[in-house]
This record gives sequence, structure tokens and C-alpha cells, in this order.
Amino acid sequence: MNRTQAYLLLDRLRVAQLRLASVALIVMMVVTLLDVFLRYVFNSPIRSSYDLVETMMAIFVFHGMSTALLTRRNIVIDLVDSFAPPFMVAVLIRISDVLTIATLALYGYAMITPALQAYNYGDLKMELGLPVWYLWAAALLGMAGGILCALGALIAPADPHHEQEPA
Amino acid sequence: MAASSIGAIGVLAMFALLLLRVPVWIALTLVGFIGNCVMSGVTPTFALAGTVPFDTGSAYTLSVLPLFILMGEVASVTGLSSDLFKAARVMLAGMRGGLAVGALAACACFGAVCGSSVATAATMTRIALPEMRKAGYEPGLAAGALAAGGSLGILIPPSIILVIYAAIAEQSLPKLFAAGLMPGLLLTALYMLVVVVVAWLNKDYAPVGESATLRERLAAMRDPWQFLLLFVATIGGIYAGVFSPTEAASIGAFGAIVLGVTGGRLSIKMLLRAIENTVVTCGILFVIIFGANLFSFFMVQTQLPSLLAEGAHALNLSGPMVMALIIVAYIFFGCFLEAIGMVLITVPVFLPMVKQFGYDPVWFGVIVVIVAEVGLIHPPVGLNLFVIQAHAPDIKITSIYRGIVPFLLAPLALIIMMFLFPGIALWLPRLLYG
Repeated sequence: MNRTQAYLLLDRLRVAQLRLASVALIVMMVVTLLDVFLRYVFNSPIRSSYDLVETMMAIFVFHGMSTALLTRRNIVIDLVDSFAPPFMVAVLIRISDVLTIATLALYGYAMITPALQAYNYGDLKMELGLPVWYLWAAALLGMAGGILCALGALIAPADPHHEQEPA
Repeated sequence: MAASSIGAIGVLAMFALLLLRVPVWIALTLVGFIGNCVMSGVTPTFALAGTVPFDTGSAYTLSVLPLFILMGEVASVTGLSSDLFKAARVMLAGMRGGLAVGALAACACFGAVCGSSVATAATMTRIALPEMRKAGYEPGLAAGALAAGGSLGILIPPSIILVIYAAIAEQSLPKLFAAGLMPGLLLTALYMLVVVVVAWLNKDYAPVGESATLRERLAAMRDPWQFLLLFVATIGGIYAGVFSPTEAASIGAFGAIVLGVTGGRLSIKMLLRAIENTVVTCGILFVIIFGANLFSFFMVQTQLPSLLAEGAHALNLSGPMVMALIIVAYIFFGCFLEAIGMVLITVPVFLPMVKQFGYDPVWFGVIVVIVAEVGLIHPPVGLNLFVIQAHAPDIKITSIYRGIVPFLLAPLALIIMMFLFPGIALWLPRLLYG
């Protein structure tokens, strides 16, 4: 597999995660909306809406970051670009790419222990009855996808013009 | 080594990383992680680094962030801003500088459903700048008015920065939204005053356009009803205690989608784009919030904020003097730091100190947003200025710099007014929430 093929594969992963996060956002909006409607019109709110929103948030946040990571849509102070030679800027971008992977790996590694604790203790979401480790699993999967997408940034050109502005 | 010295080294290391082009979220995370390791050991720090992202990323209270951003994205793509500008333009027709004043009014209204400064500046520039240039406005004045107007998006609720401040400073979001309204309206009025004065001093900067009849003006007032509906349903709902911020944000996002679809201005493709933009924006924001939380824990452990406060007391600095120094620091940071990053980096350091000097954290939140606004428009690196230049490359950046200078007086005047009359920010939250 060459670089381009690897990048395209990672881009597919990014798109899949983006869609998953988008669905989570829509579900979050609809559940909250229904909860308000049912509460005010029928005095019968959705009992597990709070837990559902938290579950969707975990999916939304941890799977939503992949696009930003693959396309380097980070908030960066780019003052150095105006006076440093292009190769120096490229080196700094590469260092940031490596630091991105290292930092995500650090978070991912640190999250394993509390995730295992949630699994071993059998913690449940109070209203939904959903095992909390499901959320941890979703978060860890999102983080793993994020790390892979950050690897994708590492094989992309280290050119500031290829970086996209934050949305 | 003293804890406060470790804290100071941490802050310096973070700025060094930022200047070396390391993304804000990584600088915050690495300094926070290493700092916590030094202060409390490796095992507790790993426990912290494992739970902070999950607790933050699955927090119900933070779900308000993507939902309000979605509302703003949908409002941007559906051309709601266009209706606002058209209405303001007709209502102010015949007045010298009326187009620029109308653009400011439209910016303020659009900011009330958008929450993002850059989005407000970009959207309004696309609509209002060509009209102002066609009417013979001096390019610097037109660009300055739009850059300043765009910055209103982060002060007038729902403000994304206020949501982030509420999370990091552990303050009530409804109170902050209530506190931001009056200063936001006052700042709009001050910007308008700047336009009127500049147009009065330089008659050729802003020609008088065609006037409109009373009937036309009244008819124009009907157009932006959608904006009014969204604002009343969301922010009005929060103020009245009918909805929580998350509920209001959901209603706002859904309402914007429904209005867009029923008005034939929102296709599925546009909706998907708005949703994807929301996902990406939040992807950037949440990793910064993870890092800011770690950094915040580190700052608490080093007691650096307390030491700074003690230092200020030892130097016999009064509260206003300390606040003035903090504001100068913010304006300096605003030269090179992005607004959200600036808030997340500085609030953990400054807020404990501000509280020690007896200032209200809600009032301080509004001050922080105002200085963040200044950072968005002051040369040489105000982001809004570049947003406008990106839309109008033929306007020289020096011309935009010149045009924005008089507008910088408005937020500074507002800050002074808020020192003299804190009630500008605190009156409404006290009235609504006691």
C-alpha cells in the first residue's frame, strides 16, 4: 500500500466517524426536543433523555475529532510562518503531527484503566440502565480512530497552505 | 523548587510551545500533564488524564455547545443574515452612514442566533460589503464596521465563548447569558456612534443614500420575524426559566432547520454541510477543553494564581489596578492568541485572583469576552480583519487597519463603563436569578 492509498483509506475512516458523530448530534437534538415537547404538552418527559444525551455526547465528541485531526484544523499561533524559512515551518508542522499522535496516545492509554474499572464494577447509567463501559468503549474507539487520522496527517504534505482554518 | 516556580515555568513553557506552532490543545495538554506529574506524581496524573476527556466529552452541560453551534451554522447557510441586513438598510435609509449602522444592527441581531464572531463577520461581509462599496463608502470604514460588528457575535448571547467560560470557571450559563445582553447592546450602540461620528467628520466616507417612506420602513420591520422567533424561543426561554440552555439550544437548532426548510432556503446538502461544520468545530473545541482542564488542575496545584494575588497585595495594588493589568495582558495576548484558546489558557490563572479582589466571576466573564473581542479586531493579527480581507482582497490590509482604529475605542469605553457601573452586566442576572 502506498502513501496515497493509505491516506484515502484513513479518509474513509474519517468520513465514517464524521457521519457517526453527525447522527449522534441529530439524536441529541431530537431527544432533547421530544423531552421538552412531551414534558410541556403531556406532562410526561422522556425519563432517560439526560442519559441519552450524555451517551450521544460521548459518541459525538470522540468520533467528531477525527476530521479536525486528519485535516489539521487545529488552532495554531502561526506567527513563525511570516519569518521562518519554509523548510523550518514544515519541520514544525511535522513535530506538531508527532506530538498530536503522542498526546492522543497518552489520553487513550490513560483512559484504558477507568474504562476497565467501569467494565469490572458493572456501572450502569442511572435512567437508561446502559452499562457505562459501552460509553467508554465508544470513546476509546473514537480515540483510536482519531489516532489513525492523526497518522494520516503525518503522511500528508507538511505545508501550511494545506492546513485548513478552523470552521 | 517552590510550587509557584513550577507553575511559572509551566506557563512559560506553554507560551514557548505556542510560539513554536504547537496547536493550542497540545500545548495545554502536555504542560498540564507534565506539570501534574511533577506536582502530584505519575499515577494520579494518569488517572486524571484518563477521566478528564471522558467526563468532559460526555457532560450533559456541554451538549449546549454543539447545539448552539448547529443553530448558528444553519442560520448562516439559510441567509437569515440577508433578511436582517435588508431590513436594517431600509429602516435607516437616508441617514449618513446608514448602511454601516444597518450592517452593525444586522451583525448584532445575527450574533444573537449565531454565537460565533468569525461566522458573523464572514456572513455579513458577503452581504453588506458589496452594497456599502457600491454606495461609495470608504473601504476602511466599511471593513472596520463589519469587523467590529462581527465581534458582537461572541458577546451577545448565545455566545460560544461564554459557554466555554461557564464550563472552565464553573459559573451558571443562564446568568452569563443574561450578563452578556446589556453590554452587547451597549457595545452595538457604541459602534454605531463611532460610524456616525466618523461619517460626520468625513462627509465623503459615507454618502447619504436614498430615503425610504414610512410605509417601506414599517414593511421592512416585518422581514426579520424569523430571527425574532429564534431569539425569543432560545434566549427568551432561558431568561424566563422555561428551558435549560441545552433545551433552548435544541429548540433553536431545530427551529432554524424548520424555518430554513419551510422557507425553501435549506436543502439537504446545505443541512449536511452545517452539521458537518458543527462536528468539525466541536472536534477542535473539545480537545482544547480537555487540555484546558488538565492545565487548570496544574495551576490549582501550583497555587500560582494565589501567589500572583499575594504579590499584588504586597505591592499595594488596588483591585482596579490589578484588573487594569489583567486587561492589558489580555489585549497583549490577543495580539497572537485565538480568542477561545486565550480564554482557556488565562482564566485558570486570572480568575482566582480576580475573585480574591472581590470581583464577580460573572462580571469578569463578560469583561473577558469584551477583551477577546478587542483581540479579534485589533491590528496586526485581528482574525476578523483577515476574514474581511479574504472576502475583499482588493482592500489593502493597511486600509482595514486604519478603518478599525476608531472602533477600538468602543470596547475600551465599554470596559471603563463596566468598571464604573458593574450593573451594566450584573443587573439582568440579578433581576432574573436573584
